Amino acid sequence: MESTQPTFSVDLVRRAQRGEPDAQRELIVAYQHRVAGFVYAIIGRSDSIEDIAQLIFIKMVRALDRLQAPSQFESWLFRLARNTCIDHLRRQKLRRIFTPFAPEHENVPEPAGAVDSEELDALRYALAQLRPQDRALLALVQEGRSHAEIAVTLRSSVAAVKARLHRAREHLREHYQPHHEN
Amino acid sequence: MKTETRAWNHLQRHAASQLNPGFADRVLRAARAGAEAAPSLLSIFALSAATAVLCFAAVTLYSASSRDSAERDSIAGWQRIAADSDDFAVN
Repeated sequence: MESTQPTFSVDLVRRAQRGEPDAQRELIVAYQHRVAGFVYAIIGRSDSIEDIAQLIFIKMVRALDRLQAPSQFESWLFRLARNTCIDHLRRQKLRRIFTPFAPEHENVPEPAGAVDSEELDALRYALAQLRPQDRALLALVQEGRSHAEIAVTLRSSVAAVKARLHRAREHLREHYQPHHEN
Repeated sequence: MKTETRAWNHLQRHAASQLNPGFADRVLRAARAGAEAAPSLLSIFALSAATAVLCFAAVTLYSASSRDSAERDSIAGWQRIAADSDDFAVN
């Protein structure tokens, strides 16, 4: 994804923690596009992006005062986003057990051609072949999270993260086949 | 640029375009509305305790009433047997 540089200042996070609406709005505006991309990589559906991104930022606003280290804000936000996406997919899976089939209940990615780029279609298809946890892992890496940060997020070791990441990348490459390679 | 990197960038742009204008303001409004409407821990605990007391009372009442009814049936049964025995002894 395009921007992986920190887009916050510790002072801005502290002001948001004190409940200043302008600072909270500034943080949301600074991260909304990156979080939307992160959500899309994991969920795979355009029609869920806004709802889930909204849920993530609402959780962020409510939990911000419990963030101990403002310098860790970005890592904390993407951990929150990752957990929210995985929870959403789990709830969808549970709901499918108890409700009759309906297209909106099905966790299927958008059909090919739903977006206007062949490369993006190919990437979405390849991501859809992975487990949600692996999609989240790749999305965290795309967001510029270090192996150590991801290990903390996943409560795992750095070595285990590297191994999982290697496997996830292999799987992605197996399935990623844009028709017109440059 | 590698096609995969381009695709990730495209994914990011596509996702970003799905957010409607005024997203941040909607989030803040929803966060505030939710915080005001959210019940306090004390009220959640009070509601849970009240529900538990009601359930316990309902179970106790039902249990007492079925026990009384069983006892009444049992006594009536014994009274019938006693009456039949008396009739049998008289005859």
